[in-house]
Order: sequence, then structure tokens, then C-alpha cells
Amino acid sequence: MDYFEVFGLPRVLGIESATLEKAFYDLSRKYHPDYFTTAPDDEKTQALRMTALLNDAYRTLRHPVRRVEYLVSLEGFKPDGSKVPKSLLMEVFEINEKLEEVKSGNASVEEIDSLRALIHQKRDKFDAELHKASQEWDELLKSGASEAKRKELLEKLTQILSESSYIRNLERELESAG
Amino acid sequence: MPKIVGIDLGTTNSLVAIAEDGTPRVIPGADGGMLVPSVIYFDEGGNVLVGNEAKTKMVEKPRNTIFSIKRFMGKGIEDVRYDLPLLPFDVSPDSEHIIRLKIFGRDYTPPELSAFILRDLKRNAEAALGEEIKNAVITVPAYFNDAQRQATKDAGRIAGLDVLRIVNEPTAASLAYGLDKKNQGTIAVYDFGGGTFDVSILKLSDGIFEVLSTAGDTHLGGDDIDEQLIRLVLVDLGQAPDVHTIQAIRRAVNQAKEDLSSADEAEIAVEQLQYRRPITRAEFDKLIEPTIERTLKPCRQALQDAGLRASDIDEVVMVGGSTRIPLVLRRVQELFGRVPHTELNPDEVVALGAAVQADILAGGKRDMLLLDVTPLSLGIETMGGVMSKIIPRNSTIPASATEMFTTFIEGQTNVKIHVLQGERELVKDSRSLAQFDLKDIPPMPAGMPRIEVKFLIDADGILSVSAQEQRTGKYQSIEVKPTYGLTDEQVEHMILESFEYAEADIEARLVIESRNEAETVLNATAKGMADEHYGELSAEERSGISAAVEHLREVIRKDNHQAIREGIERLSQSTMRLAELIMNSAISKALKDRRVKEIQ
Repeated sequence: MDYFEVFGLPRVLGIESATLEKAFYDLSRKYHPDYFTTAPDDEKTQALRMTALLNDAYRTLRHPVRRVEYLVSLEGFKPDGSKVPKSLLMEVFEINEKLEEVKSGNASVEEIDSLRALIHQKRDKFDAELHKASQEWDELLKSGASEAKRKELLEKLTQILSESSYIRNLERELESAG
Repeated sequence: MPKIVGIDLGTTNSLVAIAEDGTPRVIPGADGGMLVPSVIYFDEGGNVLVGNEAKTKMVEKPRNTIFSIKRFMGKGIEDVRYDLPLLPFDVSPDSEHIIRLKIFGRDYTPPELSAFILRDLKRNAEAALGEEIKNAVITVPAYFNDAQRQATKDAGRIAGLDVLRIVNEPTAASLAYGLDKKNQGTIAVYDFGGGTFDVSILKLSDGIFEVLSTAGDTHLGGDDIDEQLIRLVLVDLGQAPDVHTIQAIRRAVNQAKEDLSSADEAEIAVEQLQYRRPITRAEFDKLIEPTIERTLKPCRQALQDAGLRASDIDEVVMVGGSTRIPLVLRRVQELFGRVPHTELNPDEVVALGAAVQADILAGGKRDMLLLDVTPLSLGIETMGGVMSKIIPRNSTIPASATEMFTTFIEGQTNVKIHVLQGERELVKDSRSLAQFDLKDIPPMPAGMPRIEVKFLIDADGILSVSAQEQRTGKYQSIEVKPTYGLTDEQVEHMILESFEYAEADIEARLVIESRNEAETVLNATAKGMADEHYGELSAEERSGISAAVEHLREVIRKDNHQAIREGIERLSQSTMRLAELIMNSAISKALKDRRVKEIQ
């Protein structure tokens, strides 16, 4: 059973968080090991496995980026950091230099703030791209487009993930440094 | 359904509670007190006292009166090096991975010592409820790691309790508070006890208590404040005191600390030393400020992990004895910008919540459900000493992750997996949890085996690992070597040893003994089945053996020694002819060897 199937969903990317949370609570009430303490061993094991799967699925699908990562891997695609435009690598290189200054404690509060703003701006751009491509994917599912179209869009989603991972790493590093 | 009690196994005090008709209540001890001090006294004759009686011996008999043992759970000697000079205990040299305290020439591990407290609580509950108590829910600090949780479970087993669930203390407290509070909203639980600090952020929604994040420090509590005060007195004294004196000072500073919760000034008075020192609230606050500050950092971390700001928190709940300190209350109020709840007794609220959870497990309450998280990221060691995270912290438990492993050398049959907990990038900065050895991998060229390893954190927050080779579909046997814990065999051994303290629990002993024997017989049978003579048996005889093996494996898990004995008997019967064949061939071989020798 894949994570979408756990929630009885097709492989869509637009998922309302309130709807997902309600389904998560309902399924938890159904499967949680707390309600199987007095059950036979095999039912207990089943409850544990099912709840672990449910929790893994919720953890992954509630997060818009992890959701896309999961979908592309389910469809057999893998983000590849070596397939990104040179211009992006140059930008990352520059940001990284500033980040090193922050890490060594040589950056002023203003410099850190402006670096953070720069990283957030890049991240928001990728998030918007990912959001747009996700919507296209859902449209495609609805209209039942050709296999070629499907593959093309999955490649596009994978590409956005490959590129945005650089920015996300920078963001993580900045937060752990500051 | 037999009754299930809720137990708060605290650093300073322990309590047992029960929920009947949906309402939890604390069960008092034999002396009428609700709190059982977590103190154990041993005398020369092998007698053991627990609780208030033991506490009276702390100054007089410092070396054999054990307290705050919870701080040692799941720890090695290096973890507590800083505290040892102020503690009167005799630590065994064999304490690298599990601290052992030497008491009258015998080593005791923290789970064994905790078991004395649990047995006392069990007896109190049995006396009050008029029936044998075998099942319990035990609480632990939310920030306890795998080894500390496992040690707590081991303590329960040694005390003759089936620990049905390990519950996090702040979460348990929220259950007790949630009983008569509104049903929606976000709450923060600030739990500052005798030895540990936790903060948890929960979302309440129609009976679901979903923990969003937790953070803390399992070595930060009232004991640290006491130690600061002790060091203050030691500076005044200007001499190295003996253990009796330290214990007398400990008692005096503890009293002064408690007095300062309501008074503006108190006195540290150590009669034995004719020492008196006034201390004002302002002085005290200044001294403990850095310690209180250390609790605020995890609060900010928990908020950040939950994706919330302090202003998003609807209610703040205070738990643990150290929250009686006025400065603590003030700082927490400042951080969250609202007056914290202190209506329930901070010493009792965790035990009450544990009783509510016990009631849920017993099937009494189906409208409440607790969804807790794992406090630390789980990872595995990868190339170059890097920790690769596979289950992030604050994941709802049960949680799982799957990783693929393979071999590096042709014909390699073993793979080692080093599992860690923590947030740092490098293995050396992480807490080692266990070494898992995957064994008997079918020999293949390097890189060919595809071993799928599944890591599962259960609802107690404890890890288990299973592995399956994908090409052959064979489940791998795994040997677990806990880094800071007892192996299953060691715990079983302690259970056997502990019977001398327990009341006649012959049944349990018989089960363990028959189980051990069954293991031996099963191992011998497995060897026999691999023997060349196994092929000489008829199909019927062979299926008879397989059925008997399966049957014994089935009954071995049950707590019924007669069924296990019958299973052993049945297996012995079915392997009789195989044993004869193997024996005969061994004899004839021995005879033949002799003949060869004689001829020579």
C-alpha cells in the first residue's frame, strides 16, 4: 500500500491540509495500538504496522515538498543535483561564501538579515514553480493525458526538486548557524 | 479485564494511580502518603526499605541509601562524571556502558534499583485494590532516549510488571488536565521535575491529543539547583567534606529551597556543622537564573519545530515540583505571555494522567487518543562517520523507515548496522543506540544481496529492527547489542535473581525456566535438522518435527509453563528417532576410529 492509498487518494498533489488531518485522526482512531492492548497478538502486530504506515504517510503527504518528492520517487524518478543550470550553481556559490562569513561570526545582523531575505526570495520562487507544476499535474490526472505528457511533467517536477534542494540546504545551514 | 495502574516513576518521588469509572485517583502508600520518595535503603542483612522510611537513612547511611537513580537510567559512567563527586555512591569499575552501584559487595544496575520502587508501588496498589496487579503504564520524560525508555521497561519486568505502555510525562499531564478542559486548542506543557526537564506542545481536537513537538534535557532538574546550593555551602566551608556531611548539606539546602517558594528569606541550617547561612529570594534567583534559562531554550525550539509562535499557544500547563519556584513561573509566563495553569498538584498530575492512559488501554475510554512523537532523530552510521537520519525528531509514533543494505565483499554473510539517536551530523556527536548484526546472509558476489531493513519505533518510542533479503525472501536473523543497556538475557537473569526479594512468584519463574529450556531444545533440533541423517527420516517423521517446532515456537511466547513443557515433550518425542540415528552414527564412528587406531 503506498501513502496515497493509505488515505484512499489518487496520486494528486493538491491536498487540503484540514481534510488530510481529519482523515488522519479518523484512521488513527481506527487503527491505533492503544485500542488493541487486549487483542490477540497478530491483531496487535497488524495495528502497530498499520499505524506506523499511516503516520509515515501523514508525515510525508502533509508537507507540500515532501509530497512531490514522494510522488516522483513512486513514479520512478530521482532528483539529481548534477543536472542543474550553471547559473544556479554560480548563485549558490556566492550565497555560500556569505554563509561562511556568518558561520565564522564575521557578519553583522543586517548582513545576516539580507542574506536570509535573499535565500527566502529564491525559495519562494521555487515554491511557486513547484506549486504551479503541481496544479498542472492534478489537471493532467483529471483529463487523463497521454503517457508522454505525464512523463514530461514528472521530469519537470523532478527538475524543480533538484534545483530547489540547493536553496533548501542553504536555508537549513543558515538557520543552524544563526 | 485485570486492572491496569498508572505509575509515575520520578527522580525524587514516585506515585501509583488508578482510574475507576473514568476518574483517576492516586493510591496512597502504607504510611498514608501519596508520594513514595524514590529512595531505597539496604541494610547489612539484605533487608530493603523503600520510600519515607528509606529517606530517613540518607544522612546516617549515605553509602547504602540510594536516591535519584532515574538520572542514571540508560547511562554510562562518562554521562554522569560531573555529578559523581557530590554523590555518596560506590560505583563499580564495571560501569562503562551501564552504571552499577556497589552495595554490600553486590552490583546493582539502575533498572534493578528502580524495580524496588516499582515493587513497593505494586504492593500499595494491590493492598488498596484487593487484587494482584500485573499490568502497568509507566511514565518517562518525553526527552528520554531509546536506552532510557528500555531501561524503564526492564525495571518494570524485573518488578514483575507487564509494562503495557511507556507514556511521556508531559503528555500524561495533558491528559489529566484535558479531562475537564475545553476540547480544542494548542497547549504547552512545561514539566520541570527533580531530575529532568521537558516541554511538549500539543494540539487538542475532540479527544485527540496530538503532540506537535517536544524538547528537553534529561539531566536538568531540581537536583541541579540543589547541587548549586551545595557548592555554595562548600565554598563557605572551605574544606572537602565526607559523604555524611554532603548528605546533611543536601537535606538542608533542599529545605531552604522549598522555603523560598513561599518566603522571601530562608536559612540553610546544617546542625551537624553548626552552620547557618541566611539566603534571600533575590540571592537564590540570581544563583539559579542560568539554570532556568536552560529550560527556555528547549521551549523556543519546541515552538519552532511545531511551526508556532509563543502567541499561538492557548494554554500553558505547569508540571513537576520545580515549577513551584516563583522565578520559574515568572519566566514561563513572560515567554508565553499568559498565566500558566497550576490548578492540579504538580506532583500528582503525571500519575493521574498515566492512570487515564491505562484506562484507555483497558478499553474504558475510547473517546480519547494520544498521538505522541519521538523526541530525537533516528539515524544510521554511513561512510566517513556521518549520521544519516532516517526518522526525523517529532515524527508521530509508531513510525518506520526502510533502508536497503548490501555487501562489499564476495561471499560476505554478515552486515553490521550502527543505529544512533540525536540531531548532530557526525556519529561521534550522536548517541549510540545499538549495533545490529545481520547474520547468515546467503553468500553471493559483492553488492548482489539486497537486504531490506525496516526500522520501527513503536508507541513506547522504542526501536525494533527486522531485515529481509529481497532475492531469497529470507528473513535475516539479527543480533542486537545495545550500547547503553541490558540484553534480554541479562534482564531475564535479573528477574530470576529478583525473586528472592519478591513474594512467591513461582509461576513466572517456571515460565522463564521452561522458556530457557525450550530455547535449548529448539536450538538442538535446528542443528539436528541440518544433519545428514535428517534425510533418512520418512516424510511423515519430518513433518512431525516441523509441526512440533512450530507448536513450541507458538507456546513459548505465552505465559504458561505447562503448555511450554508439553511443547518441549512433544518436540522431544518427534525427534527421538533422529537423535538415535545421529547418536548411533557417532558411536559407530567412534568405534571405527578406535579400530583404526588399534590396527595401527
